[in-house]
Amino acid sequence: MKQISKRAWMAMALAIALLAGLLIFVGSYFVNAKDWVTFPGSPHVYTGVNPDCGRIYDRSGMLLLNTDDGRVYSTDETVRRSTMHLLGDRDGYISAPLLKTYASKMFGFDVVNGLYTDEPGSVAARLTISAAVQSAAQQALSGYRGTIGVYNYKTGELLCAVTSPSYDPDNVPDVANDTTGSYEGVYVNRFFDASYTPGSIFKLVTAAAALETIPDVQSRTFQCDGKTIIGGQEIICNGVHGSLDLAGALAHSCNVAFGELAAELGAETLQDYAEKLGLTGSFSCEGYTVASGKIDLSQADDGDVAWAGIGQYTDQVSAPAFLRYMGAIANGGQAAEPYLMQRVRKGDDITYEAKTVLSDAVLKPETADTLTKLMRNNVQSVYGDWQFGGLSVCAKSGTAEREGQTANAMFAGFALDSSCPVAFVVFVENGGSGSAVAAPMAAKVLQTCAQVLSAEAAAK
Amino acid sequence: MQEILTKFLDTVEQTPALLQLDGALRYVFPLLALVILIRCGKSLLMFRREPEVWAWLAGPTGDRIPVMHWESLIGRGKGCDVTLEYPTISRTHAVLTRYDDGSWTIMDAGSTGGVFVNGKQQSLSVVRFGDVLSFGGVEFTLVPITQEQERIQAEARTRRAVVRPWLTLLLLTLFQMLACAQLCVHLPEDAEAILSGFLALIAVEWGLFALLRLAKRRSFDVETVAFFLTTMGLCVVSTSAPDSIRKELIAVVCGIFAYLAVSWSLRDLERAKKIRYLAAAGGILLLAANLLLGVEKFGAKNWMQFGGVSFQPSELVKICFVFAGASTLQRLMAKRNLILFIGYSAAICGCLALMNDFGTAIISFVTFLIIAFLRSGNFATIALACAGTGFAGVLALQFKPYAMKRFSAWGHVWENAATTGYSQTRALMCIASGGLFGLGAGKGWLHHVGAADTDLVFALVSEEWGLLLAVLCVAAIVILAAFVVRSLPQGRSCFYAIGAASAVTIYVVQAMLNVFGTTDILPLTGVTFPFVSNGGSSMICVWGLLAFIKAADTRQNASFAIRLPGRKEAAA
Repeated sequence: MKQISKRAWMAMALAIALLAGLLIFVGSYFVNAKDWVTFPGSPHVYTGVNPDCGRIYDRSGMLLLNTDDGRVYSTDETVRRSTMHLLGDRDGYISAPLLKTYASKMFGFDVVNGLYTDEPGSVAARLTISAAVQSAAQQALSGYRGTIGVYNYKTGELLCAVTSPSYDPDNVPDVANDTTGSYEGVYVNRFFDASYTPGSIFKLVTAAAALETIPDVQSRTFQCDGKTIIGGQEIICNGVHGSLDLAGALAHSCNVAFGELAAELGAETLQDYAEKLGLTGSFSCEGYTVASGKIDLSQADDGDVAWAGIGQYTDQVSAPAFLRYMGAIANGGQAAEPYLMQRVRKGDDITYEAKTVLSDAVLKPETADTLTKLMRNNVQSVYGDWQFGGLSVCAKSGTAEREGQTANAMFAGFALDSSCPVAFVVFVENGGSGSAVAAPMAAKVLQTCAQVLSAEAAAK
Repeated sequence: MQEILTKFLDTVEQTPALLQLDGALRYVFPLLALVILIRCGKSLLMFRREPEVWAWLAGPTGDRIPVMHWESLIGRGKGCDVTLEYPTISRTHAVLTRYDDGSWTIMDAGSTGGVFVNGKQQSLSVVRFGDVLSFGGVEFTLVPITQEQERIQAEARTRRAVVRPWLTLLLLTLFQMLACAQLCVHLPEDAEAILSGFLALIAVEWGLFALLRLAKRRSFDVETVAFFLTTMGLCVVSTSAPDSIRKELIAVVCGIFAYLAVSWSLRDLERAKKIRYLAAAGGILLLAANLLLGVEKFGAKNWMQFGGVSFQPSELVKICFVFAGASTLQRLMAKRNLILFIGYSAAICGCLALMNDFGTAIISFVTFLIIAFLRSGNFATIALACAGTGFAGVLALQFKPYAMKRFSAWGHVWENAATTGYSQTRALMCIASGGLFGLGAGKGWLHHVGAADTDLVFALVSEEWGLLLAVLCVAAIVILAAFVVRSLPQGRSCFYAIGAASAVTIYVVQAMLNVFGTTDILPLTGVTFPFVSNGGSSMICVWGLLAFIKAADTRQNASFAIRLPGRKEAAA
């Protein structure tokens, strides 16, 4: 009996192993539980691919999404449609990296209580987005594919990041069997996930490089006969502009002048500037990996460089990157990094508050100042100040040629007004002329922005 | 009943204060469970280890050596139960055995000096009080203990029984009523089934308590631990499969019958020894029938169907296995080889592997190892068995891609979160979601995952009741193991000791595979957590095994599996 009862300690050894293993697990619980809860697909946080934690409001306090019990979107159809790509859908076709990024700040997790909360609805996230601006942009883009982005170049708040087409998440169309083409690429968020041939808006890059590296560029005169030959390639202009200075060349978007400037800058300088201005490669913004931009002149001859300098060749830019560049010009050469999440509140605690992050200076202040003047001149002399209400808008249009298709209409710039310090980009696929199609869209959106911001100022 | 229930639910809905109480309850549950387990642990682990003395051996110098077990190994060795320091006595010399009827035998355990009874050399002989036993020339007399000694001894053994079992059971009942109330509020659609389930469980536990009291058994701690775990099982079923509540309760009742039946069969060692053969044969037959007539469910062919009832024979085989492994000391010393038992175990594990029931095969194998070690104390045999099984296991895995797949996910569940690691990652997410105190009864999500209420039950309990309560469930199993190990030195027969140790090993290994499988410490093998996992056959099995633990419980008047001195003896 003595022997047997001694040997029975083997059973106790197993029990101790059980306790030891359990202890290890409890230890790893305390270290890792937060990662387990936030892991995509975690059932109490995610519905399908999207996290559901709390209520999401726009900058004016409008409820965009309530996830207390399932996903309840805004009561306004246009708002639902215009914000769905940011908030994600119910079925997992459209994911919401923004919410995933802030999920850990939003749901009430701690290792003691897990996700238990005795006051549901206490988590509120306020976005920098304005539902009104968002809806205005969505309506402006109606019938087109493309994107409109607007942000405060002083703070970095994105007021608008709209993609078209979209749909109402409360009334999901039969996308798979759609033959009209109106839902082509509907699952793509064109603001973050698409890059576009910039066309003439890229002349703002060439101009910046020229202003900083060619000393007499502002006193130069360019001669446009409608076309020219650079490096054996024929550069065709959109008109016969005759004799022009730099301001005139930019205002009329003269391909000959900018082709020549690009060729003079050379591949290396142009490439350097594109990189310095943040237009190449990708960057991450609020959980999104912004679509990669591309300015690749490594194999380019003089003709290619000329085409690249007027935004053709193989140039590609993303909306956030170009928007940030507009911000840099408007803000004296230093861009505020764009963001979407203003604040997360959990009960009485603020668990996240956005801060303005300024980039390194990408342009000399005088370059930014000169570009501002040139862009202001564009609006005053070509696009028409009347379009923009009372706002002092500086802009550049683009008509990006696409082989065998209607050109993409592009429009980018900013407002100088201190009451509405916003930069904007409008990219319209197959829209045709930038100044004719994209500029009026920008005008509408800017008007709404001005209203929203002045209402905010009045409320303060 | 429905009226009361509707009224209750309406009242709760209309009283916001009660809803706040609902939030506070999440702290009450682990606290109550802790108190219940501490009380059970106290009475199971702090009892006075007063040995029972069954007779004396009066030596040549007039000294009296107590005989404290029914089966005592006599010899010079330190490991002997009766150590006799004489050079002519062999290290292990003889086995002195007492029987249920109070008769004694002595058996020569291969000594050099031989065993003589009243001057005649014997290999196995009956011994009467007053007989002169001679071991290697040293003479002893077997002397009975007096009634007076017996009385004093019984008194000493009951002196420190301070924990009142009815109070612990009352606390458990409170726990059950609160759990039931919360489940009903959170799952109003199934409230009626849940309420009747809990009422039935409360009736069953108090019924058993009363029954054992009638049989003059005063301790109820082992049973209370089992009922605590069973309660968690009922909570799990209430959320995951409310339609199965009735089935689960029928299984609990059957399990308690199995517990009483096995206890009864163990009360009489002679009866137990006979039933042992029956059980061993029954185990093999059950598995053979399963192999021939079984039905495949969830990738394992371990189900049999009779009429509308389906059950898993492999669960019941565990009881048979423990029976087959148990053995008296006399038998152990007479036949020292393990070959028959190794063969039997191999047959059982082989059948289980053929059925694809890897979980039960692993449990049987570990139990086999423990039994083999208890019986032989020999690590070499066990190492050999391990090597052989490891080899066979590798071969089996080679041929079973399904099992291989499970193993491949092990340790990489997050990389395969949507595929092979789906169950474990959901389990971990839900454990984390529940925190230490749980999301509340019926508020879980994990039950949507396949086999959540069986293989992943640790996570399901964690999610709804909190990690603390899940840890307490494991602690309950560890308490039982500690109790067995602590009470064995006072054990009467090796048969009971081996039975209890192997039964509790089955609990521990099941808990281990279940918890560690769920939490990705080990591969997920699909093993149930004793008493807690949903499953009728497994419930019956674990309750049946509880009888083996009770058979080793030699505390005074504690166990139904141990016969009290009969009226005849008392009269004499």
